[in-house]
Amino acid sequence: MKLICTQEKFKKALFNSEKITSKQNTLPVLSNVLLEANKNFFKISATNLEIGIEIKIGAKIEREGKIIIPARFLGNFSSNLSGNENMEIETVGQNLKIKNGRTKAIIKGFSAEEFPLIPQKNTEAFLKLNTEVLRNIFAKIIASVAHNEARQELTGVNVIFAEKEILFAATDGFRLAEYVLKITENEINEENYKAFLEKNKSVIIPAGTIVELNKIISNFLENSAVDIIIEEGQIFFEFAGIKMVSRLINGKYPEYKHIMPKSYKTTIIGDKKVLQSALKMASVFADSKANEVVFKIDAQEKKILIDTKSVEAGENSTELNFEVQGETQEVVFNLKYLLDGINTLATDNIVLFVNSETSPVALKELDEKTGQPAENFTYIVMPIKN
Amino acid sequence: MTNEEIWQVALSEIELSISRANFITWFKGTKIISNVDGKIVISVPNGFTKEWLENKYNAYILKALRNLQSDIKTVSCLIETPKEKPLAHREQAMDAIVAPSKIGYKKSSASSDDVDMENNLNPKYTFENFVIGGNNELAHAACFSVSQNLGRIYNPLFIYGGVGLGKTHLIQSIGNEILKQNPSFKVKYITSERFTNNLINALQNQTIKAFKEYYQKIDILIIDDIQFISGKEKTQEEFFHIFNYLYQLDKQIVLSSDRSPKAIQILEERLRSRFEGGMTADVSKPDLETRVAILRKKSINEGLRIDEKALDFIAANIKDNIRELEGALNRIIVASQLTEQEITLEFVANQLSELISSGKKKGITCKQILKAVSSFYDVSFDELVLKNRKQELVRPRQVAMYLLRSELDFSYPGIGEKLGGRDHTTAMHAFEKISKLLEEDAKLLDEINSLKEQLYRIY
Repeated sequence: MKLICTQEKFKKALFNSEKITSKQNTLPVLSNVLLEANKNFFKISATNLEIGIEIKIGAKIEREGKIIIPARFLGNFSSNLSGNENMEIETVGQNLKIKNGRTKAIIKGFSAEEFPLIPQKNTEAFLKLNTEVLRNIFAKIIASVAHNEARQELTGVNVIFAEKEILFAATDGFRLAEYVLKITENEINEENYKAFLEKNKSVIIPAGTIVELNKIISNFLENSAVDIIIEEGQIFFEFAGIKMVSRLINGKYPEYKHIMPKSYKTTIIGDKKVLQSALKMASVFADSKANEVVFKIDAQEKKILIDTKSVEAGENSTELNFEVQGETQEVVFNLKYLLDGINTLATDNIVLFVNSETSPVALKELDEKTGQPAENFTYIVMPIKN
Repeated sequence: MTNEEIWQVALSEIELSISRANFITWFKGTKIISNVDGKIVISVPNGFTKEWLENKYNAYILKALRNLQSDIKTVSCLIETPKEKPLAHREQAMDAIVAPSKIGYKKSSASSDDVDMENNLNPKYTFENFVIGGNNELAHAACFSVSQNLGRIYNPLFIYGGVGLGKTHLIQSIGNEILKQNPSFKVKYITSERFTNNLINALQNQTIKAFKEYYQKIDILIIDDIQFISGKEKTQEEFFHIFNYLYQLDKQIVLSSDRSPKAIQILEERLRSRFEGGMTADVSKPDLETRVAILRKKSINEGLRIDEKALDFIAANIKDNIRELEGALNRIIVASQLTEQEITLEFVANQLSELISSGKKKGITCKQILKAVSSFYDVSFDELVLKNRKQELVRPRQVAMYLLRSELDFSYPGIGEKLGGRDHTTAMHAFEKISKLLEEDAKLLDEINSLKEQLYRIY
């Protein structure tokens, strides 16, 4: 293998693939990346057998070939490169020789024979989503995914496909985030989408896959379309020379539609930043373990009172003059869950819907133009039983 | 040969030609799903395995399969995700989100669901789900009638018996039953250890007065594992006063212990006599039928379908302790969920083989018994096995003989030999004497029990 490529592209590709490698040493080959030069392209691959990634880099190929190199060495080497000269990459026996400007390195590699083959799609994409759209969805729901492995199905993001919309949901059992994406015609390949719907309506994508994908698409400045393909047990994302494949989580995602309230007794509209800072202040005084915050919602006086107290720190109370409609209420929240939810909302003003101290509370963005709550995203949090 | 057998044999051949790590990585969770016209389809759990088996290991697999069935032409893979779970695993109807508990961290540490913070009662312990058998009939009847006639008939009620036989269940049931009838009653369930700690805190913070007042307001006081106050003088004294105060007002007191009041060491005489003043009832080890009934009840509660024979097997093999019995059942449930197999007799026998064969008795030796006895009675090991007739050695020697016989099934001549070449009749006499004494002498029983505990402790 012998080729020349730009340093920038190489660095970026390696940065994106390095994280997919596996550190566990049951199968040592997984801690390597595969470098492969073909007639038409230069490609870096990595996998941990849950996720696989292949990144193509435009390069001038002089000789074909492939080799695997420990990802950590190559990553440390490439992240310390400076300047913007082109890289000359060449295999010499079992070693990889890299020349970049004044720096030269020879890195010990291994035969590529043992490297896992990354699964390839058999069908065509039925869905194209912009990186911008995906980034927005992921940012809103990823915080709600469960970390506890006790319920495997909750460690992923549930994606439900319907004729007119796609639902993305995540929950850890105490709060739930749901994003509703309306389908427009240029997003789907109608024929493929219909064929897909007949087989499958709901999949669970592991949170780790979403996190890695999000990191990669966040590095792209330009907005590009991501092709999405789902086959039995696996999902493919393809965009801008990158192919990512991941397993899907087996299992049945819990039904959650019935807990989303249809109507609300009390509605509160207020400035997100004001509420955020009041809650951050409250968190100083909240009991570090129980982490409770009390919301006293006064409909007559049009204000809410945010109270926390703990044995060790003392107590704190903040009064906010928010728009309150409906009934007076008192609700206790877990501060972290509430703050997580508010952090996912992107608008200046937000809406809080309350029914009672024991039923789910919803958070939504307030659409600036219409002055109405935005319907596409809902964050639900359960109050603490009192 | 069935598909399963073919694959098993093929796998054991493939295993020889590739590394262990590779074998586990690539062949875990695979099976043959069809074998028609020499075309074999293997089900694999994910895309990586499919690619690898089809492209890299194809030759190995073909070779191994052809050795078994020469007409095999092709092998292909299909990604298959498990769909139907066995009947035993009812789909748990879990809500997507639930309210976080009042104080989140307590929930995780307490392992029980909804222990009430004020009275400490765990609502899962009720009379309804208690399985009555010959071993606990009396105790159950006493507890039940106490819950119906508070403070009037059996006061105090003292329940004793070995570990994991249901004492806590019974006494908590009293509390729950009372609360069901009359929620305004002040019920307090506390372990004697917590009681002691609270007392120490009260002494430290000089709130002893509030501590006393708190307990004097209680309608029914339930103290678990009261034997732990043995040797704690201040706790005994405070408890004595609280006890007297409540007793005088006809408030119900319920106590549990792992031994009878007589056998609790270092307990003030006035407390001992009070403990014995009401009703004492013991719970002993459950018989086979009761054990089966317990397992059946529990498996119904868990919504599981388990073969009757399998239940019998568990009950027949785990005899001493209900907690272990439930533990064994839980272990089987988890194992069957993991491997997705039906719970049958074979499955259970397989799963429990380790638990049963590690039956404690095998673990100890004659030497360990002698050592334990000599250190327990503070006599030297050499003296114990010497041929002399010192008075202070007689009892330890007899106990040693008794334990050798009862725990290790040593022959009488063998026992005599081990202990200074004594005649086998000496050993027989010792065994009979101790066995007889055990029936009437609670202190000796206690000694033997704690010796056994020492012996079987896991090091």
